[in-house]
Amino acid sequence: MEGFPQLTTWAQANVEQAVFYLLAVIAIPLAYGVVCDRNIIRSGFLLIGVFSTIAGLFILLSAQFLALAQIMIYGVGITLVVVIALMLTNPKAEKESMPALSIHKGPAIFVACFLFMCVYLALRSAENWPVKTDVAALSAAENLSRIGQSLLTNYSFHFEFASILLLAALIGAVMLAKAEPAVHDLNELSANEDKLKSSERADDVVKV
Amino acid sequence: MNPAVFEIGKFARLTVIWLSIIFGAVWAACWAVGVFAPALINASGMPTETASLASEVLRALVPVVAVAVFIPINAMFMVLCERRALALFTVRKGPNRVGPDGLLQTAADAVKLLFKEDITPHGADAVMFTAAPIIFFAPSIIGVLPLLAAASGNHELFRSVNLPTGIFYVLAIASIPVVGIVMGGWASNNKYSLVGALRSAAQAISYEIPLVLSIVAVCLMAGTLDVVKIADQQKDSLLSWNIFGGGALLPYVNLVVAGLQGNNEQVQAIMQHFQAQPLGPFAAVLMVVCCIIFFGIYITGACAEVNRIPFDLPEAESELVSGYNTEYSGIKFAIFFLAEFTNLFVVCSIASIMFLGGGHAPLPGLEQGFTEMLGGILKQLPGSKEIFSPGWLINSLVNPSTVSQAFWIILKTYSLVIFAILIRATLPRFRIDQLMAFGWKRLIPLSLILLIALTYLRELV
Repeated sequence: MEGFPQLTTWAQANVEQAVFYLLAVIAIPLAYGVVCDRNIIRSGFLLIGVFSTIAGLFILLSAQFLALAQIMIYGVGITLVVVIALMLTNPKAEKESMPALSIHKGPAIFVACFLFMCVYLALRSAENWPVKTDVAALSAAENLSRIGQSLLTNYSFHFEFASILLLAALIGAVMLAKAEPAVHDLNELSANEDKLKSSERADDVVKV
Repeated sequence: MNPAVFEIGKFARLTVIWLSIIFGAVWAACWAVGVFAPALINASGMPTETASLASEVLRALVPVVAVAVFIPINAMFMVLCERRALALFTVRKGPNRVGPDGLLQTAADAVKLLFKEDITPHGADAVMFTAAPIIFFAPSIIGVLPLLAAASGNHELFRSVNLPTGIFYVLAIASIPVVGIVMGGWASNNKYSLVGALRSAAQAISYEIPLVLSIVAVCLMAGTLDVVKIADQQKDSLLSWNIFGGGALLPYVNLVVAGLQGNNEQVQAIMQHFQAQPLGPFAAVLMVVCCIIFFGIYITGACAEVNRIPFDLPEAESELVSGYNTEYSGIKFAIFFLAEFTNLFVVCSIASIMFLGGGHAPLPGLEQGFTEMLGGILKQLPGSKEIFSPGWLINSLVNPSTVSQAFWIILKTYSLVIFAILIRATLPRFRIDQLMAFGWKRLIPLSLILLIALTYLRELV
C-alpha cells in the first residue's frame, strides 16, 4: 500500500486484528465441518475453504508468496485432485464414515489431546522458537528472491529430496495404474461405475 | 460495394462504439472516485485529518471501481462481438434487430436472464449449488488487479495494486475457478454436470502446466515477477517485446543501422562485443524462435484454461447437454456466463502484457511523440491551475501517457480476443483422449525442452 501513508497506519491500527478474527471465525467452523460432515466430498470442499483462509493468515503475516503457493498448490491442486478421486472411487463413503468415528472415539481423543499439548508446549516455550524481529524490514520482492535463493543454496538438499519423493510417488502411481486391465475393459468399468453411482444417488434422494 | 467489406465495416463500427462505451464508463467512474470526489472533499472544509483519510480511501478504491464497472459491460460487448464475428466468419448476418444494427442485443439478453426463475434442482446440495457461481466469478475480479497497474503504465491511482509477486498472484488466483466448476457440477446432482466438471478439472490441471511454463520463461528472461517491470522492459520497440526474444535481436539491428549510417565507431564497438560471444547471432535467432513457440503454447493453454473451443469439452453440448452448468438458470447461469467471458479477456490481457509489450507502441518514438503532442495541447488550456475550472477538469481527466498506453493495450488485447473467436470459428472440438494426449505428450515435453534451451541461450546472447 505505498502511496497511502495515512490509510496504511489506520489499517494497521484497526483492520489487521479485525481481519485476523474474521479469518479465524471463518476457518474454525470450516475445519470443524471437514471433520464432522457426513458427506466426505463436501468435507473435501470445506478443506479447500480452510486452506484459503490459512492463505489469508499468511497474507496478514506479509508472506504473499506462501499465501499464493498455499492457494495454488494445496487449495486448488492437491485437494481438488483428492476430491475428484473420491468422487470417482468411493460414493458410499458417507455411510461408512459414521461407525468409524464412534468405534475409535477413545484413541481419537487421546491423539487429539496429545497433539494439542505438543503444539501448545512448543509454542509456549518462546525461547526455543526464536522470533526474528527484523523480518518486517524485508520488502515482499526481496522476500521472494530470498526464498528462491535459499531453496537452491542452503536448502537445496531438502528441495531435491522432496522432488525425489514426489517422483517416487509418481512412479508408484504409474505402477498401480499399469496393473489395471486393458483400455477397453477400463472404459466398461468406468461406465458401470457411473451407472452405479447415479442409481445410488437417486436412491438417496428417494430416501430423503 | 462488396457486401463482405460492408459487413466488416459494420462489425468494426459496432466494436468501436461498444469499446468507447466500456472505456468511457470506466474512465468516468475512475475519475469521479479517484480525482473529483477527493477534490470535492478537500474543498468542503472538513477537518484536514479526516479529509485526507477519506480521499485516500477513495483513491485506494479506484482499481476495484474500475473492475466492477468494466466486467459487466465488457462481458455484454464480448458476447455480442463473438456472435457478430462468428456470423461474419460463417457468412451470416448475426443479431441485428435490437437497437441500431443489433447494438443492444446483449443488453436485452442480460435483462432477460436476470428476470428468469432461479431453480435449484431436487436433490441438489443447495449451499454448494449457490456458492459455485460465486467461487467461479470472484477470482476474475480480484485476479486482474495487478494487471491494471501494468496496463495503465503504473498510473498513480493504480500503483497500489501492483504486487511484487505480480504474475504469480494472477496465475494463482486464475487457478481457483476450476473449484467452482467442480463444485457446481457435483452439487447439481446430474450426471452430465458431474462428467463436465470432472473433464474440466482434468483439462485445467493438464493445461495449466504448459501455460505456467510459458509464463515462467518470460519471467526468466525478465528476471522479475512484477508485471509493471516486465511491461516496462519491453517499451523500446517491437523487437524488445518478449515474443521476439525480449530484445535479443536488438544489438544486431543496431549493427545494421549503424552500418547503413556509416557510423564506424559504433560498428566497431558492437563488433568487439560480438567477438566475445561468437555464438551470439545463432543464439539470438533460436531464442526468438523459442519465444514465438512459447507464445503459441500460452495461447493454446489459455484457450484450454478458459474452456474455449476447441477445448470446450466441459460443456460439449453434443455429448453433455451443457456440461457443468446444465442445471443452472437465471442469475446463477448469468454469473457463469459473465465469468467465462471475463476469463477470456483476462488471459488475453496477460498475453498482451507478458508477450506483446503491454501498453507500449510497436515502433520507437510513436508513444513519445503522441504523449508530447497531447501534453502540448493540454498545456494550452486556460485556467488549468484553478480547481473545478474547465481546464482543470480536462487536465485531471486526460493523462497523455496513460491515454497512449490504454490505446495500445486495448488494441492488442481485443485483437487477441478476436483471434480466439477466429479459432473458435475455424477448429472443430477435440475428443477427450486427444485432448489429454496433446497436453501431456506434446505440449508439456515441448515447453520443458524449450525452457531448458532458453536458459542456456540466454547466457549465449
